[in-house]
Amino acid sequence: MRRLLVIVVVVFLSGCYNAPDPGGAASGGPGALAGAPAQSFDVRRTDGRPDSLARYRGRVVLLNLWATWCPPCREEMPALERFARENAGKVVVLGVDQGEAAAVAAAYARERGVTFPILVDEQQQYGRTYEGIGLPTSVVVGRDGRIVKGIDGAMTIDQMRAAVAPALTR
Amino acid sequence: MSARVAALAAGAIAIALVLAQDVYPATPLYHGWQYALALAIALVVVLAYANGARRGDDGVVGRRLIVAMLGAAVVAVAGLAAGLLGPDTAQVIGTPGTVTPVPALGAAAFFAPADADAIASGGAGVILRRHNAGEIVLGPPSRRVLGESLVYLEARPAAYVDVYDENGAHLTVTQPTNASFLSPVLLFHDRQRIGALDVPLDTFATPARHRIIRALYFSAHDLAQFDHAGAQLDSSRPGLILSASDDQGRSLGITLAPSGRGIVFAGLRIRATIGTYPALAIAAAPPTWALVAGIALFMGGCIWGVLRPRGRIARSRQQRAQGA
Repeated sequence: MRRLLVIVVVVFLSGCYNAPDPGGAASGGPGALAGAPAQSFDVRRTDGRPDSLARYRGRVVLLNLWATWCPPCREEMPALERFARENAGKVVVLGVDQGEAAAVAAAYARERGVTFPILVDEQQQYGRTYEGIGLPTSVVVGRDGRIVKGIDGAMTIDQMRAAVAPALTR
Repeated sequence: MSARVAALAAGAIAIALVLAQDVYPATPLYHGWQYALALAIALVVVLAYANGARRGDDGVVGRRLIVAMLGAAVVAVAGLAAGLLGPDTAQVIGTPGTVTPVPALGAAAFFAPADADAIASGGAGVILRRHNAGEIVLGPPSRRVLGESLVYLEARPAAYVDVYDENGAHLTVTQPTNASFLSPVLLFHDRQRIGALDVPLDTFATPARHRIIRALYFSAHDLAQFDHAGAQLDSSRPGLILSASDDQGRSLGITLAPSGRGIVFAGLRIRATIGTYPALAIAAAPPTWALVAGIALFMGGCIWGVLRPRGRIARSRQQRAQGA
Protein backbone atom coordinates (compact mmCIF):
# COMPACT_ATOMS: atom_id res chain seq x y z
CA MET A 1 0.00 0.00 0.00
CA ARG A 2 2.83 2.39 0.93
CA ARG A 3 4.59 1.58 -2.34
CA LEU A 4 1.43 2.34 -4.26
CA LEU A 5 1.17 5.67 -2.44
CA VAL A 6 4.76 6.52 -3.36
CA ILE A 7 4.09 5.72 -7.02
CA VAL A 8 0.95 7.88 -7.03
CA VAL A 9 2.88 10.80 -5.48
CA VAL A 10 5.73 10.40 -7.97
CA VAL A 11 3.35 10.39 -10.94
CA PHE A 12 1.50 13.42 -9.54
CA LEU A 13 4.74 15.36 -9.05
CA SER A 14 5.84 14.48 -12.58
CA GLY A 15 2.56 15.75 -13.97
CA CYS A 16 2.98 19.04 -12.15
CA TYR A 17 6.34 19.62 -13.78
CA ASN A 18 6.71 22.83 -15.71
CA ALA A 19 6.52 22.66 -19.47
CA PRO A 20 8.79 24.91 -21.49
CA ASP A 21 7.42 28.23 -22.72
CA PRO A 22 8.91 29.64 -25.91
CA GLY A 23 8.48 33.22 -24.65
CA GLY A 24 8.90 36.02 -27.12
CA ALA A 25 8.91 39.71 -27.66
CA ALA A 26 6.32 41.96 -26.18
CA SER A 27 5.37 45.46 -27.20
CA GLY A 28 2.43 47.39 -25.88
CA GLY A 29 2.88 50.36 -28.19
CA PRO A 30 3.14 53.98 -27.00
CA GLY A 31 -0.19 53.80 -25.14
CA ALA A 32 1.35 51.38 -22.64
CA LEU A 33 4.09 53.80 -21.58
CA ALA A 34 2.04 56.12 -19.32
CA GLY A 35 3.78 56.64 -15.99
CA ALA A 36 7.20 55.47 -17.15
CA PRO A 37 10.21 57.80 -17.05
CA ALA A 38 10.72 59.45 -20.44
CA GLN A 39 14.02 58.33 -21.95
CA SER A 40 16.20 60.96 -23.57
CA PHE A 41 18.91 60.68 -26.21
CA ASP A 42 21.41 63.28 -27.33
CA VAL A 43 20.86 64.09 -30.99
CA ARG A 44 21.11 67.18 -33.17
CA ARG A 45 18.54 69.61 -34.46
CA THR A 46 18.12 70.23 -38.17
CA ASP A 47 20.41 73.25 -37.78
CA GLY A 48 23.14 71.06 -36.30
CA ARG A 49 22.85 72.22 -32.69
CA PRO A 50 22.84 69.45 -30.04
CA ASP A 51 19.52 68.87 -28.33
CA SER A 52 17.57 66.25 -26.40
CA LEU A 53 14.30 65.71 -24.58
CA ALA A 54 16.12 65.98 -21.24
CA ARG A 55 16.87 69.66 -21.90
CA TYR A 56 13.17 70.44 -21.50
CA ARG A 57 12.76 68.84 -18.06
CA GLY A 58 10.38 70.92 -15.93
CA ARG A 59 8.16 71.78 -18.88
CA VAL A 60 5.32 69.93 -20.54
CA VAL A 61 6.53 68.44 -23.82
CA LEU A 62 4.59 67.08 -26.77
CA LEU A 63 7.12 64.83 -28.52
CA ASN A 64 6.10 63.96 -32.07
CA LEU A 65 7.89 61.20 -34.00
CA TRP A 66 7.57 61.66 -37.74
CA ALA A 67 9.26 61.27 -41.12
CA THR A 68 8.93 63.13 -44.42
CA TRP A 69 7.84 60.01 -46.33
CA CYS A 70 4.93 59.35 -43.95
CA PRO A 71 1.57 60.64 -45.38
CA PRO A 72 -0.27 60.85 -42.00
CA CYS A 73 2.71 62.79 -40.56
CA ARG A 74 2.47 65.29 -43.40
CA GLU A 75 -1.26 65.66 -42.80
CA GLU A 76 -0.73 66.20 -39.07
CA MET A 77 2.11 68.72 -39.39
CA PRO A 78 -0.02 71.88 -39.96
CA ALA A 79 -2.13 71.12 -36.88
CA LEU A 80 1.03 70.50 -34.87
CA GLU A 81 2.46 73.85 -35.99
CA ARG A 82 -0.79 75.60 -35.05
CA PHE A 83 -0.80 73.88 -31.67
CA ALA A 84 2.83 74.88 -31.05
CA ARG A 85 2.09 78.56 -31.78
CA GLU A 86 -1.11 78.50 -29.72
CA ASN A 87 0.65 76.98 -26.68
CA ALA A 88 3.99 78.78 -26.90
CA GLY A 89 5.30 79.20 -23.35
CA LYS A 90 3.03 76.48 -21.98
CA VAL A 91 3.92 73.40 -24.01
CA VAL A 92 7.14 72.58 -25.85
CA VAL A 93 6.47 70.84 -29.14
CA LEU A 94 9.44 68.73 -30.24
CA GLY A 95 9.43 67.05 -33.61
CA VAL A 96 11.75 64.07 -33.88
CA ASP A 97 12.48 62.96 -37.43
CA GLN A 98 13.01 59.21 -37.57
CA GLY A 99 16.00 57.92 -39.48
CA GLU A 100 16.35 60.58 -42.14
CA ALA A 101 19.18 62.93 -42.99
CA ALA A 102 19.15 66.36 -41.36
CA ALA A 103 19.05 68.09 -44.75
CA VAL A 104 15.91 66.19 -45.77
CA ALA A 105 14.09 67.00 -42.54
CA ALA A 106 15.26 70.64 -42.61
CA ALA A 107 14.12 71.17 -46.21
CA TYR A 108 10.71 69.74 -45.40
CA ALA A 109 10.29 71.88 -42.26
CA ARG A 110 11.35 75.02 -44.12
CA GLU A 111 8.99 74.30 -46.98
CA ARG A 112 6.03 73.77 -44.60
CA GLY A 113 6.85 76.74 -42.36
CA VAL A 114 7.50 74.62 -39.27
CA THR A 115 8.82 76.79 -36.43
CA PHE A 116 9.10 74.30 -33.55
CA PRO A 117 12.42 72.48 -33.06
CA ILE A 118 13.01 69.35 -35.14
CA LEU A 119 15.47 66.81 -33.74
CA VAL A 120 17.16 64.48 -36.20
CA ASP A 121 17.23 60.94 -34.82
CA GLU A 122 19.10 58.99 -37.50
CA GLN A 123 19.48 55.94 -35.26
CA GLN A 124 15.75 55.97 -34.46
CA GLN A 125 16.49 55.75 -30.74
CA TYR A 126 13.38 57.71 -29.75
CA GLY A 127 11.24 55.62 -32.08
CA ARG A 128 12.48 52.37 -30.57
CA THR A 129 12.20 53.50 -26.98
CA TYR A 130 8.74 55.00 -27.34
CA GLU A 131 7.60 51.79 -29.02
CA GLY A 132 6.39 53.49 -32.14
CA ILE A 133 4.23 50.93 -33.92
CA GLY A 134 3.70 53.35 -36.78
CA LEU A 135 4.21 56.99 -37.66
CA PRO A 136 3.32 59.50 -36.43
CA THR A 137 3.62 58.63 -32.75
CA SER A 138 3.20 61.30 -30.07
CA VAL A 139 4.19 61.25 -26.42
CA VAL A 140 3.13 63.78 -23.78
CA VAL A 141 5.84 64.21 -21.14
CA GLY A 142 4.98 65.88 -17.83
CA ARG A 143 7.06 68.42 -15.91
CA ASP A 144 8.37 65.58 -13.73
CA GLY A 145 9.90 63.86 -16.76
CA ARG A 146 7.37 61.04 -16.79
CA ILE A 147 5.21 60.01 -19.70
CA VAL A 148 1.63 61.17 -19.31
CA LYS A 149 0.26 59.67 -22.48
CA GLY A 150 1.41 57.93 -25.64
CA ILE A 151 -0.63 58.25 -28.82
CA ASP A 152 -0.34 56.16 -31.97
CA GLY A 153 -1.41 57.89 -35.18
CA ALA A 154 -2.15 61.40 -36.36
CA MET A 155 -4.07 63.78 -34.10
CA THR A 156 -6.29 66.77 -34.78
CA ILE A 157 -5.57 69.99 -32.90
CA ASP A 158 -8.47 69.25 -30.53
CA GLN A 159 -6.99 65.86 -29.77
CA MET A 160 -3.64 67.53 -29.08
CA ARG A 161 -5.28 69.95 -26.64
CA ALA A 162 -7.04 67.07 -24.89
CA ALA A 163 -3.83 65.01 -24.76
CA VAL A 164 -1.73 67.68 -23.01
CA ALA A 165 -4.49 68.96 -20.68
CA PRO A 166 -3.82 66.43 -17.87
CA ALA A 167 -0.10 67.30 -17.93
CA LEU A 168 -0.80 71.04 -17.65
CA THR A 169 -2.99 70.62 -14.59
CA ARG A 170 -0.41 68.55 -12.65
CA MET B 1 23.61 -5.62 -7.89
CA SER B 2 23.50 -4.98 -4.16
CA ALA B 3 21.14 -2.43 -2.62
CA ARG B 4 24.18 -0.35 -1.63
CA VAL B 5 25.52 -0.09 -5.19
CA ALA B 6 22.03 0.68 -6.51
CA ALA B 7 21.54 3.44 -3.94
CA LEU B 8 24.95 4.99 -4.61
CA ALA B 9 24.32 4.86 -8.37
CA ALA B 10 20.87 6.40 -7.92
CA GLY B 11 22.34 9.16 -5.74
CA ALA B 12 25.10 9.89 -8.24
CA ILE B 13 22.63 9.94 -11.13
CA ALA B 14 20.30 12.32 -9.25
CA ILE B 15 23.20 14.68 -8.54
CA ALA B 16 24.39 14.51 -12.15
CA LEU B 17 20.89 15.30 -13.44
CA VAL B 18 20.39 18.28 -11.13
CA LEU B 19 23.92 19.56 -11.84
CA ALA B 20 23.17 19.34 -15.54
CA GLN B 21 20.00 21.35 -14.95
CA ASP B 22 22.10 24.02 -13.27
CA VAL B 23 24.85 24.07 -15.91
CA TYR B 24 22.63 23.79 -19.01
CA PRO B 25 19.34 25.22 -17.79
CA ALA B 26 17.76 25.91 -21.19
CA THR B 27 17.74 22.28 -22.34
CA PRO B 28 14.07 21.22 -22.71
CA LEU B 29 14.86 17.72 -21.38
CA TYR B 30 14.91 19.01 -17.79
CA HIS B 31 11.37 20.30 -18.05
CA GLY B 32 9.80 17.08 -19.22
CA TRP B 33 7.97 14.70 -16.90
CA GLN B 34 10.56 12.02 -17.69
CA TYR B 35 13.26 14.04 -15.96
CA ALA B 36 11.10 14.56 -12.90
CA LEU B 37 10.19 10.88 -12.83
CA ALA B 38 13.87 9.89 -13.02
CA LEU B 39 14.67 12.19 -10.09
CA ALA B 40 11.72 10.88 -8.10
CA ILE B 41 12.72 7.24 -8.68
CA ALA B 42 16.29 8.03 -7.65
CA LEU B 43 14.94 9.73 -4.53
CA VAL B 44 12.82 6.69 -3.63
CA VAL B 45 15.78 4.31 -4.12
CA VAL B 46 18.06 6.49 -2.01
CA LEU B 47 15.54 6.93 0.80
CA ALA B 48 14.63 3.22 0.80
CA TYR B 49 18.31 2.29 1.20
CA ALA B 50 18.79 4.91 3.92
CA ASN B 51 15.77 3.55 5.77
CA GLY B 52 17.16 0.01 5.63
CA ALA B 53 20.63 1.16 6.60
CA ARG B 54 19.17 2.95 9.61
CA ARG B 55 17.79 -0.40 10.77
CA GLY B 56 21.26 -1.96 10.33
CA ASP B 57 20.56 -3.88 7.08
CA ASP B 58 23.97 -2.91 5.61
CA GLY B 59 26.09 -2.87 8.76
CA VAL B 60 28.44 -0.08 9.80
CA VAL B 61 29.16 1.00 6.22
CA GLY B 62 25.45 1.33 5.52
CA ARG B 63 24.95 3.52 8.60
CA ARG B 64 27.77 5.79 7.41
CA LEU B 65 26.35 5.96 3.91
CA ILE B 66 23.13 7.41 5.34
CA VAL B 67 24.95 10.77 5.24
CA ALA B 68 25.64 10.31 1.52
CA MET B 69 22.03 9.30 0.91
CA LEU B 70 20.84 12.36 2.77
CA GLY B 71 23.03 14.54 0.52
CA ALA B 72 21.68 12.92 -2.65
CA ALA B 73 18.12 13.34 -1.34
CA VAL B 74 18.69 17.05 -0.69
CA VAL B 75 19.92 17.55 -4.26
CA ALA B 76 17.09 15.49 -5.77
CA VAL B 77 14.44 17.36 -3.77
CA ALA B 78 16.03 20.68 -4.76
CA GLY B 79 15.90 19.65 -8.41
CA LEU B 80 12.27 18.54 -8.14
CA ALA B 81 11.26 21.69 -6.25
CA ALA B 82 12.96 23.90 -8.83
CA GLY B 83 10.93 22.23 -11.55
CA LEU B 84 7.66 22.43 -9.64
CA LEU B 85 7.95 25.88 -8.08
CA GLY B 86 10.31 27.64 -10.48
CA PRO B 87 9.20 29.54 -13.57
CA ASP B 88 8.68 28.01 -16.99
CA THR B 89 11.67 28.16 -19.26
CA ALA B 90 11.31 31.34 -21.28
CA GLN B 91 13.31 33.65 -23.46
CA VAL B 92 12.38 37.33 -23.45
CA ILE B 93 13.47 39.13 -26.60
CA GLY B 94 13.49 42.90 -26.30
CA THR B 95 14.25 45.65 -28.77
CA PRO B 96 17.27 47.76 -27.75
CA GLY B 97 16.14 50.71 -25.63
CA THR B 98 12.78 49.24 -24.62
CA VAL B 99 11.32 47.97 -21.37
CA THR B 100 9.54 44.61 -21.30
CA PRO B 101 7.56 43.28 -18.33
CA VAL B 102 8.68 39.89 -17.00
CA PRO B 103 5.79 38.64 -14.82
CA ALA B 104 7.61 35.42 -13.93
CA LEU B 105 10.18 37.48 -12.03
CA GLY B 106 7.88 40.29 -10.92
CA ALA B 107 10.23 42.59 -12.77
CA ALA B 108 10.67 44.75 -15.84
CA ALA B 109 13.62 44.15 -18.14
CA PHE B 110 15.31 47.19 -19.63
CA PHE B 111 17.15 46.22 -22.79
CA ALA B 112 20.12 48.56 -23.22
CA PRO B 113 20.19 50.82 -26.27
CA ALA B 114 22.55 49.50 -28.91
CA ASP B 115 24.22 51.15 -31.86
CA ALA B 116 26.18 49.38 -34.60
CA ASP B 117 29.30 49.11 -32.40
CA ALA B 118 27.35 47.54 -29.53
CA ILE B 119 25.83 44.98 -31.90
CA ALA B 120 29.25 44.17 -33.38
CA SER B 121 30.87 43.70 -29.96
CA GLY B 122 27.89 41.86 -28.45
CA GLY B 123 28.48 43.81 -25.25
CA ALA B 124 24.97 45.10 -24.58
CA GLY B 125 23.33 44.15 -21.30
CA VAL B 126 19.94 43.98 -19.63
CA ILE B 127 18.84 45.64 -16.39
CA LEU B 128 16.17 43.93 -14.29
CA ARG B 129 14.09 46.34 -12.24
CA ARG B 130 12.04 44.71 -9.50
CA HIS B 131 9.24 46.35 -7.55
CA ASN B 132 10.51 47.40 -4.12
CA ALA B 133 13.90 45.82 -4.81
CA GLY B 134 17.18 46.88 -6.30
CA GLU B 135 18.27 46.74 -9.90
CA ILE B 136 20.12 43.74 -11.24
CA VAL B 137 22.54 44.47 -14.04
CA LEU B 138 23.15 41.47 -16.27
CA GLY B 139 26.14 41.52 -18.60
CA PRO B 140 26.75 38.92 -21.30
CA PRO B 141 28.54 36.28 -19.17
CA SER B 142 26.70 36.77 -15.89
CA ARG B 143 23.88 34.69 -14.42
CA ARG B 144 21.91 35.19 -11.25
CA VAL B 145 19.70 33.00 -9.14
CA LEU B 146 16.55 34.78 -7.94
CA GLY B 147 14.58 32.44 -5.69
CA GLU B 148 13.78 29.38 -7.80
CA SER B 149 14.66 31.25 -11.00
CA LEU B 150 17.91 31.36 -12.86
CA VAL B 151 18.29 34.41 -15.10
CA TYR B 152 21.03 34.86 -17.64
CA LEU B 153 21.64 36.34 -21.07
CA GLU B 154 21.66 34.38 -24.30
CA ALA B 155 23.39 35.97 -27.28
CA ARG B 156 21.16 35.98 -30.34
CA PRO B 157 22.16 36.97 -33.85
CA ALA B 158 21.44 40.62 -34.57
CA ALA B 159 22.22 43.15 -37.25
CA TYR B 160 22.22 46.93 -37.20
CA VAL B 161 21.12 48.22 -40.59
CA ASP B 162 22.04 51.62 -41.99
CA VAL B 163 20.42 52.51 -45.30
CA TYR B 164 21.20 55.54 -47.49
CA ASP B 165 19.78 56.76 -50.77
CA GLU B 166 21.83 57.24 -53.95
CA ASN B 167 22.89 60.71 -52.69
CA GLY B 168 24.11 59.38 -49.37
CA ALA B 169 21.15 60.68 -47.36
CA HIS B 170 20.20 58.43 -44.45
CA LEU B 171 16.82 56.68 -44.76
CA THR B 172 14.31 55.50 -42.19
CA VAL B 173 14.36 51.75 -41.57
CA THR B 174 11.14 50.13 -40.42
CA GLN B 175 10.15 46.58 -39.55
CA PRO B 176 6.55 46.25 -40.71
CA THR B 177 6.24 42.64 -39.61
CA ASN B 178 7.68 43.12 -36.10
CA ALA B 179 6.47 44.72 -32.90
CA SER B 180 9.55 46.98 -32.98
CA PHE B 181 8.38 48.93 -36.03
CA LEU B 182 10.88 51.79 -35.77
CA SER B 183 14.00 49.80 -34.98
CA PRO B 184 17.00 49.50 -37.32
CA VAL B 185 18.17 46.51 -35.27
CA LEU B 186 17.14 43.17 -36.76
CA LEU B 187 16.68 40.50 -34.10
CA PHE B 188 15.77 37.61 -36.43
CA HIS B 189 12.65 36.28 -34.72
CA ASP B 190 11.98 33.88 -37.61
CA ARG B 191 13.96 31.14 -39.31
CA GLN B 192 14.08 29.70 -42.80
CA ARG B 193 15.34 26.34 -43.97
CA ILE B 194 17.65 26.38 -46.98
CA GLY B 195 18.81 22.90 -47.87
CA ALA B 196 20.49 21.52 -44.78
CA LEU B 197 20.77 24.96 -43.17
CA ASP B 198 18.21 26.49 -40.84
CA VAL B 199 19.05 30.19 -40.84
CA PRO B 200 17.66 33.20 -38.95
CA LEU B 201 15.34 35.43 -40.97
CA ASP B 202 14.09 39.00 -40.60
CA THR B 203 12.51 41.67 -42.78
CA PHE B 204 12.95 45.42 -42.96
CA ALA B 205 11.66 48.18 -45.19
CA THR B 206 12.65 51.61 -46.40
CA PRO B 207 9.29 53.32 -46.92
CA ALA B 208 10.88 56.42 -48.47
CA ARG B 209 12.13 54.24 -51.35
CA HIS B 210 9.33 51.65 -51.29
CA ARG B 211 11.67 48.72 -50.70
CA ILE B 212 10.99 45.62 -48.63
CA ILE B 213 14.07 43.55 -47.88
CA ARG B 214 14.28 40.06 -46.46
CA ALA B 215 17.50 39.35 -44.60
CA LEU B 216 18.85 35.86 -43.99
CA TYR B 217 21.63 35.65 -41.41
CA PHE B 218 24.62 33.51 -42.34
CA SER B 219 27.45 32.87 -39.92
CA ALA B 220 30.99 32.85 -41.31
CA HIS B 221 30.89 29.05 -41.03
CA ASP B 222 27.69 28.84 -43.08
CA LEU B 223 29.09 31.19 -45.72
CA ALA B 224 32.20 29.03 -46.00
CA GLN B 225 29.97 26.17 -47.17
CA PHE B 226 28.86 28.32 -50.10
CA ASP B 227 32.51 29.16 -50.75
CA HIS B 228 33.23 25.46 -51.18
CA ALA B 229 30.48 25.36 -53.79
CA GLY B 230 32.54 27.69 -55.97
CA ALA B 231 30.91 31.00 -55.10
CA GLN B 232 33.23 33.95 -54.61
CA LEU B 233 32.20 35.00 -51.12
CA ASP B 234 33.99 36.66 -48.23
CA SER B 235 33.52 33.86 -45.75
CA SER B 236 35.80 35.32 -43.09
CA ARG B 237 32.90 37.10 -41.39
CA PRO B 238 29.14 36.69 -41.09
CA GLY B 239 26.89 38.17 -43.71
CA LEU B 240 23.30 38.77 -44.69
CA ILE B 241 21.77 37.40 -47.86
CA LEU B 242 19.38 40.18 -48.87
CA SER B 243 16.48 39.83 -51.27
CA ALA B 244 14.61 43.00 -52.20
CA SER B 245 11.19 43.68 -53.62
CA ASP B 246 9.21 46.84 -54.21
CA ASP B 247 5.90 47.53 -52.54
CA GLN B 248 4.10 45.87 -55.47
CA GLY B 249 5.91 42.64 -54.66
CA ARG B 250 8.20 42.73 -57.70
CA SER B 251 11.57 41.11 -57.04
CA LEU B 252 14.56 43.44 -57.28
CA GLY B 253 17.31 40.87 -56.85
CA ILE B 254 19.40 39.13 -54.27
CA THR B 255 22.85 39.90 -52.88
CA LEU B 256 25.27 39.26 -50.04
CA ALA B 257 26.00 42.01 -47.49
CA PRO B 258 29.14 41.16 -45.51
CA SER B 259 29.19 42.58 -41.99
CA GLY B 260 30.33 46.19 -41.82
CA ARG B 261 30.81 46.62 -45.56
CA GLY B 262 28.58 48.97 -47.52
CA ILE B 263 26.91 47.60 -50.65
CA VAL B 264 24.74 49.13 -53.37
CA PHE B 265 21.59 47.09 -53.85
CA ALA B 266 18.10 47.74 -55.25
CA GLY B 267 18.85 51.46 -55.54
CA LEU B 268 19.98 51.67 -51.93
CA ARG B 269 23.30 51.84 -50.12
CA ILE B 270 23.12 49.36 -47.28
CA ARG B 271 25.57 48.70 -44.48
CA ALA B 272 24.69 45.86 -42.11
CA THR B 273 26.75 45.48 -38.96
CA ILE B 274 26.30 41.93 -37.76
CA GLY B 275 26.83 40.66 -34.25
CA THR B 276 24.71 39.67 -31.31
CA TYR B 277 22.18 41.21 -28.95
CA PRO B 278 21.13 39.49 -25.74
CA ALA B 279 17.81 37.89 -24.93
CA LEU B 280 16.88 37.42 -21.30
CA ALA B 281 16.61 33.73 -20.47
CA ILE B 282 14.67 32.50 -17.45
CA ALA B 283 14.79 28.94 -16.21
CA ALA B 284 13.97 27.03 -13.08
CA ALA B 285 17.13 26.33 -11.09
CA PRO B 286 17.90 24.50 -7.86
CA PRO B 287 19.16 26.78 -5.10
CA THR B 288 22.96 26.90 -5.01
CA TRP B 289 23.11 26.25 -1.25
CA ALA B 290 21.15 23.01 -1.65
CA LEU B 291 23.42 21.83 -4.46
CA VAL B 292 26.61 22.62 -2.56
CA ALA B 293 25.38 21.17 0.75
CA GLY B 294 23.91 18.06 -0.90
CA ILE B 295 27.01 17.28 -2.94
CA ALA B 296 29.27 17.88 0.08
CA LEU B 297 27.18 15.48 2.19
CA PHE B 298 27.14 12.87 -0.59
CA MET B 299 30.92 13.04 -1.12
CA GLY B 300 31.63 13.15 2.60
CA GLY B 301 29.31 10.22 3.29
CA CYS B 302 30.89 8.13 0.53
CA ILE B 303 34.43 8.80 1.79
CA TRP B 304 33.38 8.01 5.36
CA GLY B 305 31.74 4.81 4.15
CA VAL B 306 34.91 3.70 2.32
CA LEU B 307 37.08 4.20 5.38
CA ARG B 308 37.35 1.00 7.44
CA PRO B 309 35.68 1.29 10.81
CA ARG B 310 38.23 1.79 13.64
CA GLY B 311 36.93 -1.11 15.71
CA ARG B 312 37.33 -3.45 12.77
CA ILE B 313 40.86 -2.16 12.08
CA ALA B 314 41.79 -2.69 15.71
CA ARG B 315 40.34 -6.22 15.68
CA SER B 316 42.15 -7.05 12.48
CA ARG B 317 45.49 -5.85 13.92
CA GLN B 318 44.88 -7.90 17.05
CA GLN B 319 44.14 -11.00 14.96
CA ARG B 320 47.32 -10.48 12.93
CA ALA B 321 49.36 -10.07 16.11
CA GLN B 322 47.91 -13.25 17.59
CA GLY B 323 48.63 -15.13 14.38
CA ALA B 324 52.27 -14.01 14.50
